[in-house]
Amino acid sequence: MAIDRSQVISQLSQIKIKGDSNGMVPAFGVLVQQLPANFWNSFSEKILDAAGDALYDDAEGLLENAAAECGYHTGYGIITSEEFNSVVGPMIENKPEDILHGAYGVFTAWGWANAEITELVPGEKMVVRAYDYYESDVKNPKKPFAYMIRGVSRAFMDLAYSDPYPKGFGKFKCEQTKAIEKGDKYGEFVVTKA
Amino acid sequence: MATTTKKSGFTSAGSKVSYQPEQKFDNKKMRHYMEGKTFVLHCHHYATLFTQLACDARDLGGTELLTEASCETFYEVLCDYFKKHKVSDTTDRIAIAEQYYGYVGMGTIEFNFGDKEGFAVMEHSHIDEGWKKKWGQKEEPVNFIGIGYIQAAWGAVFNKKPETCNVEETQSIVCGSSNSRFTINW
Repeated sequence: MAIDRSQVISQLSQIKIKGDSNGMVPAFGVLVQQLPANFWNSFSEKILDAAGDALYDDAEGLLENAAAECGYHTGYGIITSEEFNSVVGPMIENKPEDILHGAYGVFTAWGWANAEITELVPGEKMVVRAYDYYESDVKNPKKPFAYMIRGVSRAFMDLAYSDPYPKGFGKFKCEQTKAIEKGDKYGEFVVTKA
Repeated sequence: MATTTKKSGFTSAGSKVSYQPEQKFDNKKMRHYMEGKTFVLHCHHYATLFTQLACDARDLGGTELLTEASCETFYEVLCDYFKKHKVSDTTDRIAIAEQYYGYVGMGTIEFNFGDKEGFAVMEHSHIDEGWKKKWGQKEEPVNFIGIGYIQAAWGAVFNKKPETCNVEETQSIVCGSSNSRFTINW
């Protein structure tokens, strides 16, 4: 593999972002904000509790979809950005596989999760392992709780192998097969065609 | 700056403090920390879809839960900052609460607190402008995260229980207004 993951993380983790004079952060084709991870976890827990057994699956789907749309649009902005091209671009030998590996370097550098691809069947399947992620901070969830990683991972596969952006969303699905928040040593995410 | 006629009350006017958080990246856990708390970058798609989810789940108290999560989170953030940096002056506390909001990319906010009531004005709002960018204008306000933040700021500034103040959004950027306005009562 051509991507030097540690170099990508080292360089891109140093990028500091703060609001402009309007308190806004327009970047990567979207508006960005940087909030405590606890806020996102807290609302997710509250809404799942409120949903109860009857609506639990629906609420889970909406939380995962929020991340998928985020991952699709912001992910596209990231992999087409100057920052990505300057750091990851020179390492790319095989498209889109190296771009995917590079994207998980960014994913890690930005603090979403310490995650990397452990298996990739181009256009068919991807397995991602996450050794730490903020969603694992949630105590005793009823089910695996990493909706953000699930959504973003399937979105990244859409960007790599579905129709060109913005027409390729929703062609993959992701299942979380291991979860730190459920006692596993790492989180594992399997992305396949929907 | 908010274009509003200010009542007399507590504001940030005259304060010289500057919000300067300690930020670091832990290259073992691969996490970013701001003032010791894990923080993450997310986009307006994520924030507005969470908001939409709260709206869809209104019968379950979704919008109140989003406000509650915001209030609890930011109350702790602001109280911890005031304590660590020894920010005790009311004017300075308001200034920090205003600056933090912009620093993290949520927009601009100005507070004016009287004896029993107050107001807040946002000239820019990540939630409202993000919503318009994604879906266009909306007839009803959607900034439930902002309401929670205002409760948190009031509580942290005055050492009160944040949930004991009532905040109502009376004018919204997402509805087509040039700024968002909130009334605050306690």
